[in-house]
Amino acid sequence: MAKIRHDDRGSLLAPLKALGFFTRAPVTETLAPRPASLNYRGFHVNDWSQCIGCGTCQRICDNAAITMVTIPSLPQDPARGIRNQRPAIDYGRCCWCGLCVDICPSGSIALTREYIHICRESELDSYFVLPDPNGIHGQPFPAGWAKSEVSELIDPARQPMKELPAPTRIQGFDEIVQGYEPQQAIDEAARCVQCGLCHEACPTHMHAPEYIRAIWRGDAEEAVRQIYRTNPFAHVCGRVCTHRCEQACSIGNRGEPLAIRWLKRHAMDSVPDERVRELVTQDSVAAPSGRRVAIVGSGPAGLTAAFDLARHGHAVTVYEALARPGGMPRYGIPAYRLPDDRLDADIAVIEAQGVEIRCNTPIGAELTMETLRQQYDAVVLAIGLQLGRSTRIPGSGHRDVHTAVELLRRIREGEALAPPKRVVIIGGGNVAMDIARSLARLQMRRHGAIDITVCALEDFDHFPADPTELKEAREEGVRVLASRGPKEIVIDADGGLGGLKTLGVTSVFDEQGRFAPRYNHEDEQLHEAAWVVEAIGQISDISILGDSLSERLEWDRGRLRVDENGRTAEPWLWSAGDMVRGPDVVHAVADGHRVAASIHQALQQHTEAGS
Amino acid sequence: MRPENYQARAHPPSHEYELNFGPNHPGIEGNYALRVRLHGDRVVAARAEGGYLHRGFEKLMEGRLWIQNIALVPRICVPDPSPMEVCYALSVEALCGIEVPPRAQWIRVMQLEMSRIAAHLFTFGGHAATTGLYTNMFWGVADRDRVLDRFEELTGGRVYSIFNLPGGVRRDLPDGFLERLSGLLDYLESRLEDYDELFFRNRVFVRRARGVGVMSQQQALEWGVTGPNLRATGLAFDVRRDDPYLVYDQLDFDIVTEEAGDALARNLVRRGELRQSIRILRQVIERLPAIDGPVRAPIPNPLAWRVPAGETYTRIESSKGELAYYVVSTGGEKPYRVHVRGPSSMHAVQVLERLVVGSRLEDIAQIMFSLDACPPEVDR
Amino acid sequence: MSRAMNPWLEELQRDIEIRGERRVRIEIASESLPALLELLRGRAGFAHLSAISCVDWIEDGEFELVYHLWSYELGMLVSAHTRIARDPGVYLSVYDLYQPAAFFERDIHEMFGLYFEGSPDMEPFILTEWHGPPPMRKDFDTEAYVENSFQWEEYQPDWLQELQEQGGGIARRPGEIR
Repeated sequence: MAKIRHDDRGSLLAPLKALGFFTRAPVTETLAPRPASLNYRGFHVNDWSQCIGCGTCQRICDNAAITMVTIPSLPQDPARGIRNQRPAIDYGRCCWCGLCVDICPSGSIALTREYIHICRESELDSYFVLPDPNGIHGQPFPAGWAKSEVSELIDPARQPMKELPAPTRIQGFDEIVQGYEPQQAIDEAARCVQCGLCHEACPTHMHAPEYIRAIWRGDAEEAVRQIYRTNPFAHVCGRVCTHRCEQACSIGNRGEPLAIRWLKRHAMDSVPDERVRELVTQDSVAAPSGRRVAIVGSGPAGLTAAFDLARHGHAVTVYEALARPGGMPRYGIPAYRLPDDRLDADIAVIEAQGVEIRCNTPIGAELTMETLRQQYDAVVLAIGLQLGRSTRIPGSGHRDVHTAVELLRRIREGEALAPPKRVVIIGGGNVAMDIARSLARLQMRRHGAIDITVCALEDFDHFPADPTELKEAREEGVRVLASRGPKEIVIDADGGLGGLKTLGVTSVFDEQGRFAPRYNHEDEQLHEAAWVVEAIGQISDISILGDSLSERLEWDRGRLRVDENGRTAEPWLWSAGDMVRGPDVVHAVADGHRVAASIHQALQQHTEAGS
Repeated sequence: MRPENYQARAHPPSHEYELNFGPNHPGIEGNYALRVRLHGDRVVAARAEGGYLHRGFEKLMEGRLWIQNIALVPRICVPDPSPMEVCYALSVEALCGIEVPPRAQWIRVMQLEMSRIAAHLFTFGGHAATTGLYTNMFWGVADRDRVLDRFEELTGGRVYSIFNLPGGVRRDLPDGFLERLSGLLDYLESRLEDYDELFFRNRVFVRRARGVGVMSQQQALEWGVTGPNLRATGLAFDVRRDDPYLVYDQLDFDIVTEEAGDALARNLVRRGELRQSIRILRQVIERLPAIDGPVRAPIPNPLAWRVPAGETYTRIESSKGELAYYVVSTGGEKPYRVHVRGPSSMHAVQVLERLVVGSRLEDIAQIMFSLDACPPEVDR
Repeated sequence: MSRAMNPWLEELQRDIEIRGERRVRIEIASESLPALLELLRGRAGFAHLSAISCVDWIEDGEFELVYHLWSYELGMLVSAHTRIARDPGVYLSVYDLYQPAAFFERDIHEMFGLYFEGSPDMEPFILTEWHGPPPMRKDFDTEAYVENSFQWEEYQPDWLQELQEQGGGIARRPGEIR
């Protein structure tokens, strides 16, 4: 195109060209609504069935335009990470940047291809909108700007955890998980959007958003402080917690949830044990109350209660029947998942609060519950579930039929257990995996080869054990069979154990959802083995209570009945942990807190009434 | 009045009078004002008054997360928002050491040139209106809207595209976008002659613009003039070529200059630049399809993002001249300081105040439009 | 070159940092800055003052001034950094060297309260109707000012009233998480 010279005088006639435009068709735009472009950032729509109420949209909103609103008719399910809150948008503040869409962990928000909202001054309330799938004007409008892989703002992938490879770990009981490098921990913590769903899902309501933030800032001591606000089993839970938080994590909706448990582990491992003790003890200076509490059982429930009560100034004595404190984490969880010294570190912090632990001191014949009642102002029964259940199938009384908890305890006590070359395990839960993998290690040591078969009732889609447990067990050479129900133990002519016969399972629960397995009797298999291990559940040894106390207490299908604070029918007796709640470490911790709070309250009331 | 407050000098001589030109005047760009002193219709002195569009962006940015500022920056210059986004993104990338994928760099150049075209069309329209040529004003605005249609399609927003994240751009191109962009360029090229005949070679305009608001190259340099206004005094300087960023060093384009340094020369430079931008976009359309790969480099979760401590002075060539961001991070989650150096902070204040002196009242608007001063960018 | 100049030059050399092909960073004492600018302008062709940036380092009790200079001939950008005491906050204008300084110095005076002696115009430009402290100072809290000066819009749409009747309603306002 030619250059116009600066000294060009211009033309008077050329502009008349514009007259020619009168002959052209006019360009018109109708006022009727039409959809904008495919990517347009119009008004919000929110798929309520997908939205989890995490409020991340509110957090990213640069204009403070989003208010979270509670909608009582929507489901509220902390365990699944669902809140009954939904975002409402103030269009007086929104700038339509769409960052809420790009960050939304569930992908439920989108913006429509709608251009206009107009109202009179009297209708200003119409600027505050609770978007649902129908959007601002209550009618479906095509969605424009929506979540895409390109616009995803949060890394969906976890930081990989360094772990011992199967061939190495099968050689012994060394801890498998090696922990995060400092930078890895920061990068993993950086994925957190601080929605707090984990906090709500956690039985003991750990302050995970706070400690994750502290880890991200590189402040491990602050993380430890935050962890200890709710959980004295910090190392234990950093390693073997059932991590309900991760099931609730909002990031898990589209990617891998944050490795909250590993972050906790990282924080605990980055602060020296002595420093942890200092940090925790710093802010606990309650004056002695003169009250005494006895706790029976030194597992997570008992020691958590002891920790709290000691910090309230009460004199706490814990009675432990076995040689060392710790309960199930000590005697039920294999060392490759939880090394002893980490449990010792947790317990040392608890003891540093002034808790006295008496080991090798069973309650029963010599020291009775009645004695405790007389000597203490309150007693907590937290003995856990230490006896394995039996399948009671024919042959289950044979000497080579064992229960998993008993074997696990014997391994942890240091007994040189000598498993035969072939073992069958009945059960599909985490305990079954624990014993299978422990025995596999012992077989490897003794025979140089592994032959372990796990027979679970459930199919793989409904498998009770953690997916990681199952995966790791298989990596280590354990054979896992799903949908196999035990029929009988086969005993040889010479009285030796020949193996286990199983039947194919067609269904586990009946129409009412009750446990009632059904079998296909045509599908019978024999699994040859010299040992059969039952890992189908545990019960409490309640014989320690004595007959008269047992009679005075209330029972619910074999389980001690307590109120929501853990109080039994006897005013001096509380109970906590697995024996009343079922097996789970973090529930036991939560229960310990609950019981301690209840006892503390009762003791205070007692003091006030007495003085 | 108390005697001690009496200031004789504050009163203009009796043959002079003061006039408030703006802030609400059709001949002023945006909300901006000039207080002018006149002798008859001849300007004796002028004083620029800003602040009508001050939103405190620099301060606001200190209170927001690094990513949240992407929604603020385009508002600093409404008619030419893309350079604001890109310059901010480049600054953060410089601080973090983020490599922007090539495809994203080409898409950014595409936006910058689209935005330049839209801005120049707007300025032609505005300038034409100050000389009474309203057809051109409507054309400029209407044709800019066709560019905005493509922005809407690409970025999801017509004016505030909010499309450039640190790390790249938020989306890849929609299907068939480059064909439609090519169609837009065809259309614009078909209009160039119309613009020439109705505006650039319109004797009404030429006579009004020639010799008005003249500055020499030396004055321009002393006054800190940049961009088309500087090039209209004969200095061939363009940040895109002389301090290149993105992929401008891989593109062919000419630097348009004029010698006269008046309102006409400035417009002729913009006229030429419109053509150069079309030329650049043609190259983008040709080469972009072959540039594969992602449109974004990964950035951390924006809610947990610390930018390494440091500072950067990043500058680019906007439609109005040299645009620069001075960004300081102390390693925190928010910027410690963001200073926006818009080209109009020179053009709309010192340069305008000087150029209108000696001109006639009716030329003030023309001079301001010929400088393409952008008040929101001055006020920030 | 005279001996007396040497320490100054040596120090200057130490504080020059080449930061890329066309970027140089210089850290310099405030009393030497005008001389440096004069040298850069007069001897090296740094004719264009691109900007003066001010940073409030409140914890150090200092303002940092950064002079961004471009040489059209060398194709190089020099950023000269200097620090001056926040209190009393007075510095010298460089208007006699660079006329664009007038705008930047006026702006910094208005936004940070830093006074430039010899600058042609220290009158307010943007904040003519503002009577508070210079707002870009770090100790001015914009959000607190806004909270005190303006009110959040209190909407009461029908849907909200219905939710409130059901026992729901506003759970968390945006102000609560910022």
